[in-house]
Amino acid sequence: MKRRDFLKVTGTGAAVAAAGGVAPLLEACAGKARPLGRKVVVLAIDGMDPDLVRRFVARGGMPTFKKFIEGNTLMPLGTSLPPQSPVAWSDFITGAGPGVHGIFDFIHRDPETMLPYLSISRSTPPSKTVKLGRLVIPLAGGKVENLRRGPCLWEILARHDVPATVFKCPSNFPPVETDARTVSGLGTPDIRGTYGTFSYYTDDPPANADEFTGGECIPVRLWDDAFTADLTGPANTFRENSPPAKLRLTVHRDPTRDVAKITWDGDEVILKKGEWSGWHRVRFKLAGPLADAVGMVRFYLKEVRPHFRLYVSPVNIDPLEPALPISTPGGYAAQIARRAGRYYTQGFPEDTKALSHGVFGEEEYLAQAEIVLRERLACLEETLADFDDGFFYFYFSSIDQDTHMMWRTMDPHHPLYQPDAPPEVKGAVEHFYRAMDGALAKVLAKVDDKTAFFIISDHGFAPFYREFNLNTWLLDNGYIALADPFRRAETEFLDNIDWGRTVAYGLGLNGLYLNLRGREPRGIVEPGEAAALAAKIAAGLEAYRDPETGERPLVKVYKSRECYRGPAAAEAPELVLGFTRGYRLADDSAAVEFPERICKVREDKWAADHCIDPAHVRGVLFSNKPVAAKAPALKDLAPTILKEFGLEPPREMTGTPILG
Amino acid sequence: MAKIKIDGELWARVKKVAEAAGYASPEEFVAHVLEKETAALEGADADEEEIKKRLQGLGYIS
Repeated sequence: MKRRDFLKVTGTGAAVAAAGGVAPLLEACAGKARPLGRKVVVLAIDGMDPDLVRRFVARGGMPTFKKFIEGNTLMPLGTSLPPQSPVAWSDFITGAGPGVHGIFDFIHRDPETMLPYLSISRSTPPSKTVKLGRLVIPLAGGKVENLRRGPCLWEILARHDVPATVFKCPSNFPPVETDARTVSGLGTPDIRGTYGTFSYYTDDPPANADEFTGGECIPVRLWDDAFTADLTGPANTFRENSPPAKLRLTVHRDPTRDVAKITWDGDEVILKKGEWSGWHRVRFKLAGPLADAVGMVRFYLKEVRPHFRLYVSPVNIDPLEPALPISTPGGYAAQIARRAGRYYTQGFPEDTKALSHGVFGEEEYLAQAEIVLRERLACLEETLADFDDGFFYFYFSSIDQDTHMMWRTMDPHHPLYQPDAPPEVKGAVEHFYRAMDGALAKVLAKVDDKTAFFIISDHGFAPFYREFNLNTWLLDNGYIALADPFRRAETEFLDNIDWGRTVAYGLGLNGLYLNLRGREPRGIVEPGEAAALAAKIAAGLEAYRDPETGERPLVKVYKSRECYRGPAAAEAPELVLGFTRGYRLADDSAAVEFPERICKVREDKWAADHCIDPAHVRGVLFSNKPVAAKAPALKDLAPTILKEFGLEPPREMTGTPILG
Repeated sequence: MAKIKIDGELWARVKKVAEAAGYASPEEFVAHVLEKETAALEGADADEEEIKKRLQGLGYIS
C-alpha cells in the first residue's frame, strides 16, 4: 500500500459511515458441556497496585477488601511484556503472549510505509464508491477491524454454551462476534475516530491552544452575549476528500446571571457556571436525508464572565444509537443504557488531556472522573442484575487513569508535588480505591460457594519522575542518521530519517526496531547480523546513566526473540525496554522526535506510569479459591477460567491454570 | 492546453487500457488519472497531520 493510501484509511472516524463486522479468529477447543450453575466472576480493575491497595486497606477505608483478603488469597499478578494495557488485556483474553495475539505496544508501524498507527483496531473506508454530484456514495468495502489475533476466552465459552457477559474489556474493539453479551472497551474511539477529542470554546484562548492534543480550542467572539461555532464530527466519506462533518452550536449568555444556553438542531441545554449537563444527542448530517452519524456529548460550563469558557466532551458513540459496532449482540449496549442511563463509550473516558492542557483544574478533572465512575457503577448494577450463571467480567478504568494523573499529589518526592493542595486533591487516588470497595460489595452479593471469583489488575504503578528519550540516545550513538540534520527540531513520526544510514529506531512506548533488510522498505541490517546488533544496543542502553542523577534509566532491555513465541513473534520490535522505577520513555521519543537532551524531568501532570520493567509493576490477584501457582500471570487466567467450566484450553493458550 | 511527452510504448498501453475501461479517449483517461493522483498527493499532508493528532491524543503521549 502506498503512503498516501495508508494515510487515507487510518481514521476510524472515516468508518463511521460505513462500518462492517469483524470475523473472529478461532481454533478448535476440545471440551465438554458446562456444568449447570457454575459461575466465574472477574472484577477487572485497571492499574490497581498491590502496594497501594495494601496501604489503603490498612488505613481503614476499604472494609470489604479487608474482609475479603482475610479469608482469601491476595498475591501479585505477573503482567505482560511490555506492561501496557492493550498488551496486558490481550494476554488475558487470549491466554497467551504477544507472540500469539500480535499486540506489542499501543503504537505499531506499518513496515511497508513506515507510518505509525494505534495497534488495537484499524478502519478502512469503502473501496467502491459512486459519485453523485459532490456526493461520494459508498457501495462496498468499508470496515473496522480488531487487530488482536489468537483465541478469545469468551468466544470459546459461548461456543460451548457457557453464558458470558463481558463489560468493557480493553483490546476488544470492535467486539468479537459471539453469542456472549459484550460491550467494547479500550480501543473504542469517539465519533471522530480518535481516543477522545474534547472541544473548548472560549473568548480567551490559552497560550498553548495550538499545541492541544486530544482536544481542540475554538476561539469565539461574543456579540450581544451570543456566538455560533461548530462542533466537529466524523470524516464525511460521502463528500469528496472526506471533510469533517460539522454541527452548528449557538450559545447565548445571560446578560446578568452566570448562565448560558446552548442550542443546536432544535435541542437546547441551559447551564449555570460550574455545571455539567447530562448526555445530549447530536446528529451530524453526512449526505442530506440519506445518511447521518449520531453521537452524544456532555457540556460543562466552566466560566461565563469575564471570559466565556465552555467544555464539550468528545463526541461519544451513543449506546442507544451506535454509529459503530460496540456490543454483541448489537442491541446490548442500548439495553444497558435504557436501564442504567447513557454512559461513556470511548475507551478511556477520563479526560486526562483536558487536565494536562489546563482546560480542567484539578477539581474539575476529579468531577469528570467521578461522572465516569458513577456511570460505571450504575452499569455494574444493571449487568449484575442479569447475571446468574456462567462467566461475568466487569472492567473499571478509574484507578488507572486517576493514578496516572493524581499520583503526584500524594508523593512528596515528585517534582510536581504541591504540599498545599486541597485534601480532596491529595486524597484523590485513595478516593478511587475506596470506590472500588463499593463495587466489590455489589459483586460479592453474586458470589456463592459455586463461584470462582477473581479481582485482577493488568499492572501496578510507579512514579514518573524523569523521561528518557530513546531516539535521541540512538542518534547520539550513531544508530540513527537524519536526512537533513538542520531540520532536527522539526522531525517527528519517522520523517527526516536517512534510512540508508540508520540501523535502529524507537517506536511506541517500549519498542526498538532494527532497520532490517527484507522487512523495512529501506532496511540495511542483514538478518544474520541482527542478533549481534540488538545485543550491542541493549548493552549500551543498560549501561547508560542519567547525567543528572547518576541512575540507570533502563534496568533491563529484553530481546524479543528470547521472550515471544508464536506466529506473530516475527512482527515484534527486536528490543523491549524495561525502565527503572521512576523513569519512562519521553513523550517526544514516542513521537520519534529528537530533542537535545536524553533525560529530563517530567513536567506533565500525567506523572505516574507503568510502561516500565514488568517486574516493577506487577498487578494484583485476589481469589476466593486457593492458588497453587507460585507466580501467576495474566495469561494464566483464561486457561484457568476454561478449566473451571470443564473446558480444555486450546493449544495457542500458553498460560497455565493457577488453581489447586 | 498544455502538451506533455509520453514514451511511445507507454502511450500504446494507455490507449489499450483507456479503451478497455470505457473512456471516451486516452486523453480523458490520462486527465482522470492525473487529477486523482494530484488530489491524493495534495491531501496527503493534511491526512498525515490527522494521524499525528490521533496518536498524540493517546494519554501516554502529550
